[in-house]
Parts: sequence; C-alpha cells; structure tokens
Amino acid sequence: MRARLPDRQGHAVRDGLRLGFEVAGSGSPSVLLLPTWTIIHSRFWKMQVPYLARHYQVITYDGPGNGRSDRSTDPFRYDPDSYASDAVEVLDTCGVDRAVVVGLSLGAQYGISLAANHPERVAGLVLVGAALPLVPPQPERAAIGAAFHGPAPTKPRGWERYNLAYWHSHYEDFVQFFFEQVLSEPHSTKAIEDAVSWALDAGPEILEVEAARPPAGGGRSSETIDPDAESIDHWAGLLEALACPTLVIHGTEDRIHQHQVGLEAARLAGASMITMEGSGHMPNVREPVRFNLVLRDFIEGVKE
Amino acid sequence: MRASIPDIEGVIDRAGVDIYFEVHGHGVPALLLIPPGPITHSRLFKAQVPYLARHFRVVTFDARGNGRSGRPVERFAHTRAENVLDILSVMDATETTNAILVAHCHAVWWALEFATFHRERVSGMIAIEPGVPTLGRSQPHWIETAATWDQVLDQPAGWNLNNRHVYLNEHRKWVEWFFGQQLVEPHSSKPFEDAVTWALESTGEVLVAGEEGIEVEPPTPEGIDEMCRSLDMPVLVIHGELDVCQHVDRGRAFAELTGGELVELEGAGHLPLVRDPVVVNRTIKRFVDNMEAPMNSHVWTRGLNRRKKVLYLSSPIGLGHARRDLSIAQELRQIHPDVDIDWLAQDPVTSVLEGEGEKVHPASEWLASESGHIASEASGHDLHCFQALRRMDEILVANFMIFQEVVEEGMYDLVIGDEAWDVDHYWHENPELKRGSHVWLTDFVGFLPMPSGGDHEAFLTADYNAEMIEHIARFPRIRDRAIFVGNADDVIPASFGPGLPKIRDWTEQHFDFSGYITGFEPPNAGQLAQWRTELGYHADEPVCVVAVGGSGVGRDLLEKAIAALPMACRSLPDLRMVAVAGPRIDPSTLPSHPGLEVHGYVDRLYKNLAACDLAVVQGGLTTTMELTASKTPFIYFPLNNHFEQNHHVRHRLDQYNAGRHMDYALTDPEQLAAAIVTEIGNRVEYRDVESGGAARAAALIAELV
Repeated sequence: MRARLPDRQGHAVRDGLRLGFEVAGSGSPSVLLLPTWTIIHSRFWKMQVPYLARHYQVITYDGPGNGRSDRSTDPFRYDPDSYASDAVEVLDTCGVDRAVVVGLSLGAQYGISLAANHPERVAGLVLVGAALPLVPPQPERAAIGAAFHGPAPTKPRGWERYNLAYWHSHYEDFVQFFFEQVLSEPHSTKAIEDAVSWALDAGPEILEVEAARPPAGGGRSSETIDPDAESIDHWAGLLEALACPTLVIHGTEDRIHQHQVGLEAARLAGASMITMEGSGHMPNVREPVRFNLVLRDFIEGVKE
Repeated sequence: MRASIPDIEGVIDRAGVDIYFEVHGHGVPALLLIPPGPITHSRLFKAQVPYLARHFRVVTFDARGNGRSGRPVERFAHTRAENVLDILSVMDATETTNAILVAHCHAVWWALEFATFHRERVSGMIAIEPGVPTLGRSQPHWIETAATWDQVLDQPAGWNLNNRHVYLNEHRKWVEWFFGQQLVEPHSSKPFEDAVTWALESTGEVLVAGEEGIEVEPPTPEGIDEMCRSLDMPVLVIHGELDVCQHVDRGRAFAELTGGELVELEGAGHLPLVRDPVVVNRTIKRFVDNMEAPMNSHVWTRGLNRRKKVLYLSSPIGLGHARRDLSIAQELRQIHPDVDIDWLAQDPVTSVLEGEGEKVHPASEWLASESGHIASEASGHDLHCFQALRRMDEILVANFMIFQEVVEEGMYDLVIGDEAWDVDHYWHENPELKRGSHVWLTDFVGFLPMPSGGDHEAFLTADYNAEMIEHIARFPRIRDRAIFVGNADDVIPASFGPGLPKIRDWTEQHFDFSGYITGFEPPNAGQLAQWRTELGYHADEPVCVVAVGGSGVGRDLLEKAIAALPMACRSLPDLRMVAVAGPRIDPSTLPSHPGLEVHGYVDRLYKNLAACDLAVVQGGLTTTMELTASKTPFIYFPLNNHFEQNHHVRHRLDQYNAGRHMDYALTDPEQLAAAIVTEIGNRVEYRDVESGGAARAAALIAELV
C-alpha cells in the first residue's frame, strides 16, 4: 500500500504526448521531482513524497516512455531540452509558476536544461547523483561507449551487459545487474526489487529509442559515459550560468556517476555540496531520512 | 579567569564621565550588549560574550555608574538621554556603524529610544526581560514601594527596602534582597554572589541617582506604545515567566507591539542570562542567523521544571499491543505518578486508547496506516508478513519522519516503541537524530523464511537479520533497553541465518525478559462462572467461540468453522457457536445457521475466550496466550506464510503445552468438526502463564525516566 495517495492525478499533453503527473500536498513552495532515465518511473521518489507533501505541494511525473506516460518512439523526445519543455508543460497544467526542482542522475540534465531555458520557473535546483559528462568515467565503465552497439556478449562480465543487443536478449539480467550497481549499499534487497520491477514497465525497446537521442552538446557522446570536449563545454557552461540557488548531493560510493562529477558540478555552479559518504547512486532511496531532511533545509532556505 | 579577553578595550570621555567599552571577535554582524546599570555592569553578559564572539563582533560597555565607567552621583547625569548618548559614543568609538542591540531590563528602554532616534545605526533588537515602563503589567511591589520611596521607614524589610534611604545607608541589604528575589531558580548561589558583587562595585548614592534619573521626563503609555509600534526592525524578546522584576506580561506586550518573536522561559526568573545561558545564547544566535525569517513565538521550559514526558508507540499490527502497552503504562504511572504519556498511534490502537482516556498525540492522524497495509497484503487465510513488512518500506519512512518531528518538538525523556519498526530502524540508520532514551519492546526476535519462499526468501530473512544485528553492534546506544515480552525459553531455537548467531543466544545477550504480559489477570473459577452468566452462556450448553484478528484477515476461517457447525452438531446437538468477525468484516455477510450467532467487534473479547468451552482461532500471539492464561481448550490455525504465527507463536505455545495446532490448508470442515467434538470442554494441562509481566517491564523502563 502507498503511504500517501496523490491529491490530484492527470496528464499534461505536449505535442500529442501524454505525461502522467501526480500532485500531493498544498504547501509553499512547490517542489517538482523530475523523472530520470526512462528505465524507471516516478515511484522512485516514493520515500520523499509523503514527507515533502506534509510541507509543500509536490509534483511528480513520468517522462515519455515509462509509468503513466505515453511511450514515445521519437528519439528527440528524450533530449534534455525536450524534458525541460515537458516539465514546463506539467507545471503549466498544474498551475504552478515556480518550483524547487530536484533531478536525480539524468534528471540532473533535465533540471539544468529547465533552469537554463526557463529560469523564471525554477526557484532552486537540486542535483542528485548527477549524470553529467564532466570528468572521465571510472575504468570499469569506460569501455561502454564503444561496445554499446557491438554484438551481445555471450558470457558478460560486469558492465559488458551495457550493450544494446544484450538488452534485447537478456533485459532482466541487465536490469538486475544495473540496479545492483545503482543500489550498491549492503541490505538493499527491497530497493533493488522495486527498481527492477519498475524497469520491467519500460523494456529494452524504449531504452533503445532513448539511447538514440542526439547528444546534448553536439558532440559524439552517447549517454554520459565518454565525455568529449563539446559535451563538457555544453554542461559546464550551463552550470556556470545557473542563477538560482543550487544544491548538489552525491554519494562517495556512486558506481554510476562518480562523486567527482558532483564535486565538479558544484564547483562550476557555485552550489552547496552535500557529500553522502558510503552512499551509492540513489541516496534518496537508501538514506531517505537524511535525504529528506537535507532537502527540507534547502527548500526552507530558498523559500520566497 | 575570563573565558574571553577583549580584542579591543578603551575608555571614552563622555562629557566628563568615563565610559569603558570592550570589543570581542570579528564576525558579522555586530552585536551591542547593553547592561542595565548602575546596579550591574557588562560582566552580566559573561556567559554570552565568549560564545557570541566566536560568530559575531560583540561590543559591550559598562553603563555609567558601575564597572570601569565613571560614577556620577547627580540624577541629571543618569537620564535616558545621557545613556542613549553613551550608546552612540560607544558605537562611534568602536567604529560600529550598525549593530543589533542586545539589552536587559531597563536598558531595553534606552535601546528603544536609541533605535528610535538613531534608526540607521540599528538593524535589530534583542530584548531580554524588557523593562519598558507602562507596558503589560507592573509588579505590585514596585507600585507599592514607589509611594514610600522618599520616606524614612521604621525598620524596613522586604520590598520596603526599595527606598532611597535604605539605598544610601544599607546598600548591601537592598542589593541582597533584590537579587535574592530575582534568582527564583533553585541552586543559584553563584549567580547570586556575582550579582551582589557587581552591584556593590557601585554605591547606594549612584544607585539612587540611577533610579531617579531614568524617570526624568516621565513616560506616557501612549508615547511608549507609539515608540514600540514604530520600531520597524526584527525584534526578539526573551522573557522568564517567573520574572519578579519585569512581569512576563511586559515582555509579551513588547513583542506584540513591535511584531517581535517571543520566547518565554518557563521556570525562569529575571536573569536567564546567567541562569539559562545555553538557551539564551542559542536563541540569540538562531535569531541573528535568520533575521529575515524569525520563528514563531514559543515557550522553552527549564530542565528541572519539566514534567517527565514519555512518547509511547504501540504497533497497530494486531490488537494485542494496545492492551499490553496500556498495562505497562499503568504500571509505569505507579512508579512515576508524575509521568505524562503521549501516544503516537493509529487505528485500531487509538480507539482502545481513547476508550481508556489516554492522550493520543494529534500528529497521530498524519500517520500512514500500517494496519491498512497489512489488511491489503492479506488474502484468504494467508498473510506473508515478512514480505508485507518489506513492502511497508515507504509507510515506515513516512511515519518515521512524522515521529521525528513529534519527538524533536515534544522534548520527550523517553520513547517506548512496542514493535515500532520505523523508530528502531531509522534511528539506527540516522543515530544523530536520536532524542531521549529509547526502549524497544517485542515478542519475537528474528525473521524466519517460510518454505514456500525457497532459498531466496532464506537469503532475504538472513539479510534483514544481519542488518539488525549490525545496527545493534555498531550503535548500542540506540536501544537503551530492549525488552522481550516473554521468557528466554520462549525464544525460538533457530538461527538468524547462515554465518549468523543463534537467535536465543543473541537475544539473551541483548534483551531483558519481562515474562509474558497478558493485559489482564487470569480469571479464577468464581469470575469464570460470573462471566459465563454475563455472556448468557448456559452451564450445560457447549459453547465454541470462533474469533479472527482485527486486521480483516479471517473470513475464510469463519466460513470454514461455520461449515463445520452442522457436522459437529450431529454429535453435539446443543452446540452453540459464537463467531466474532472483528471490526473489518461485516457480520451480515456471513452464512447463518441454527446454533450460530455472529458478532462484530467485541470489547474485552478475553471474557468470551475465557468463558467458552472451546475456541477456534488463528495463530496470533495475543489471542492464543489469552486462551492459554484462562486455560480454555483451543484449536489454532496459523495464517499461511505468516512466519511469526507458524514459528515463533507455535514454539511459545508449546512451552505452555497449550492449544491444538492445525494446518488450515490440510483441514476440511469435516475434520474441523471432528476436532471441535474431540476438544470441546476438555480439561487442559497448560502451564500457568506468569503474572506481573507488565510490572516487570515497567520497572525496567522506569529506570530511564
């Protein structure tokens, strides 16, 4: 059973695509919890919504391709600027002018793009486990970019599973492996089960569409794994230009996007940096209490 | 030795009167601390300066007439205007363009006038026990003795020492009386010595001049009100509720007129600067840090003035916790009659508590429903309670966040959690959040896999057990006491999992044992007969009570028992079956049959269970142990996949040689009918259930309050 049901549910529609949103609570300011990689949907905020909704109006929505949103087969729908436009559409539909915006992993890109394209809509920005091509990837993930479109590995080890053909043939195995890396803290069984079950709502076909989206910086990099100069310049420029109060939260044991990414993002943005020592890629799930309290502090600080 | 040596000190010649000042620290903003001379001087702030100077630039000075400042003896040297000019000179001399004024008692009046006439020099005001006349209420002893101020009294005593001639001739006597009255807090000997010493550094003559000088140009209520209303800056008022010098109503009025934040100190008198320095310092710091967003006014109570406060969390999963927790609470009140107990609880526990007149914390209504979740997880005669608990993760964190706000706000001495999984788990995960002592109560230890879950479930239960064991090993300070509701023999002889300890060994090392807590005294033969009469069970009719839990699980068992009724009636034609459906099953939806009566919720079900000739129940601990205590024959069907009922409860009942275990899936109505016929009215040989469990638990808890 959910701890708190939304007060309002509905769909925002942009260019014919329906985006399922939920609103809980009525306090001020509004807080927008962004989607992340399409592999999971908005329920990954389940440890935050009941708490935040006692103090603020909380809006969550599913990105194109998962949850209660339509599955778009257009790769351009998965571009960060497109996500930013979706977020604006959701805010408009909910009648919200301005919100504190929280993005996790790829959601950090969407949040930065939203703040860059529509600064008047963002009262504050929180970047969690940010997926940003700012520093070279850790060695075990460095080979992914080149191997992604290659043949499926037959006896894959570790990140070799990050391969399009393997997704199609062994989606569950990939998903299980991936979330064991995401939720790398001991005793994470329940969190992994949740994430895997949400991933099964997406499927490899939609992830393939998403993976074909154009790189944000105009460079060659797919995903954030193998940053080239164009991508780095693009994101560094946006971070430096951020005008709203910004908070970066990053675990030291993040196996997806290293802690240094968060440090670099905070440096570029002049943001406050919260390091969660021992935490992996989703501290909101594995350290929900601390995460919630940090988020509350930040939101109280940017209250207008 | 002083805790903070001034970085700068100096003396200003202010039109012939020396004014001594000090500067401590370099932070921003500047705070100007103004003592209410001449009865005291800047050392009054000795408990504030070292702390505040680590964060801010602290300027203070001795007001004219005491300390290292001059001692003019004419009243016209002590007017408000002169003191206001002193403040200005100190700010100029220390190159303080702008400051937050921190003033005590009548120095707040000076500060108010200074802020009014030099608005650009002041960014905020912290008024401690503000002595601004005409506001709120004056203490009657000031009004009464004002009339005799100039008279020569015959052997004056008490407040009549407030007299110009006493000041002049018996200075010490007045000073000792005054500070003796002000320090209402017990154990104030050192502050008293300090205050008297500082006062006696001046003279009676100066003190008279100070008293008379401040009233030159007497105030009008309208003028004071206008000045307060016009004070357009952040204001903080700190006022002791027992202040004998400035009535607390005066601080309240000052806060109201200035739109300021009021922090009332319960149990505190006129000198919280010295008697409650920690709360004063932290309140000042918090105010200065958040000048744009002041807090709501509130009351802080001195430690020794607080009543003992307990926050009791009683698990809503199953109805058994509520009764035993009430018994423990009653026993705790026997030991500590002055204890206040708030309950953070949810349905169905709250209805039991409210029925007993207990105080349910209003935040309880925000809690997400754990019993609703459990009901949603149950189907048929099946409740996979381990997986249900895992799937309750978002409810547990949502409810913990509420609990944490309640416990931080309520200043509880003790938190008692009867299987309050959220508190125990998240305090171990966030140990810095612990507030108050913590008692953990449970009637089982260790998650155990059910066979249907295979190896994976065995892996999961072991992982959960390992996490709990690691929590307690790493943070033994989180559970100040862990109480197992039962005896060591009741702990199951199983392992927590591969590579983990034996449950019993570990539990004996980490728990105290209260024995079982029934929540009622087992009835004697006389009571049993009386209950039977009350309930209308005839002496010669065999009565079989079928009861299911409060969680909505149980329709299947009720229906199976009802189906067995006509079969059993073939051997027992007078058999009367009393089915208790609980609050969540509508009795009218069950089949009817001659000899069958169906009830919804039954208060004090233990009477029915004790007075009947046979009970047919699920495997819940509370119900089966009530039956054991009252020596009623019973047949129990643990819920499928419910590890606690199938393992822990069954093991415990075996210790008491109690009940007949049957497997729901393997029992058809015919077999149940045969069992009813065999068991009904049998004389049982159960071991006695110990009494006094609640008192033993309460005694273990009481040491922490």
